[in-house]
Amino acid sequence: MTQENALKLFKCLSDTSRLRIVQSLTQGEMYTELLAERLNLTPSTVSFHMKKLEEAGLAVSRKEQYYTVYSLNREMLDKTIYEAAVSEPEQADEQQKREEEYRRKVIRAFFEYGKLRSIPVQRKKKLICYEQIAAHFEIGKVYEEKEVNEIISPIHEDYCTIRRDMISEGILRRDGNWYIRLK
Amino acid sequence: MNEFITYLSIKVEEGKAETASLLAEGRTDDANFAKVRTNIYDVCRTVSQALINRPGAGTDAIKAQLERFRTEWSSALEKAKQHDNIHGIAVEETKLAALDDIIAHFQEVAGA
Repeated sequence: MTQENALKLFKCLSDTSRLRIVQSLTQGEMYTELLAERLNLTPSTVSFHMKKLEEAGLAVSRKEQYYTVYSLNREMLDKTIYEAAVSEPEQADEQQKREEEYRRKVIRAFFEYGKLRSIPVQRKKKLICYEQIAAHFEIGKVYEEKEVNEIISPIHEDYCTIRRDMISEGILRRDGNWYIRLK
Repeated sequence: MNEFITYLSIKVEEGKAETASLLAEGRTDDANFAKVRTNIYDVCRTVSQALINRPGAGTDAIKAQLERFRTEWSSALEKAKQHDNIHGIAVEETKLAALDDIIAHFQEVAGA
């Protein structure tokens, strides 16, 4: 277990409702509606808690007709607090981690369900958003201007500004009527 | 309409108490959902109060505004479902459940 996972595990369990869910699941598999009834929560709230438990590796789910059935991940539960406490931090460079976190924050703030809410004013944030848009382009593939517009316009209505900015920032390159993603 | 505003005020106070109690129980995420619910009662109270005080506006304007909220939040719920956004689904369902309660009470009071 990495230190990051250990932290996720402890954070996840430091909530009475989730502890109660784990307690209920020790009695066997249960589906969302049954857990909701037992714990006096709405099914959507139970799903929310179950997602956190799944992300922490404490629970697993499977679909059964219309229901989602949850059970505990015994392997994770059998780990001791000692094992979690002595976990090592991941080797990734701290600076890189901070940058990745910043990037995620910017994307969360400026994108909603894949659409760009507004073009950031700050260049650093703008670049992050444009790199996110660039992910819709294949590296090395040649696009016509029409295709470029068709990719950008569902993301933001001002596709011309974005297309031009992406060229000036070196994310896209324009050769006559052809466009290519550089990074 | 005073009865309606009083009802919303009571729900806001109840919501604040519930949020505090859930936090004390160590149920942080449930407390956040209670806070979302409380905010809905608070928003509807503020909007209704403003509409009551506006000349020419009244019951119909409140009804129309509550319906606008329903349309807006139902569409947000659909979007969250499409994107399998579990947190978004829980938030929008919480908002809509509170709104359903508000609309039911409003219809009772206003006979609308």
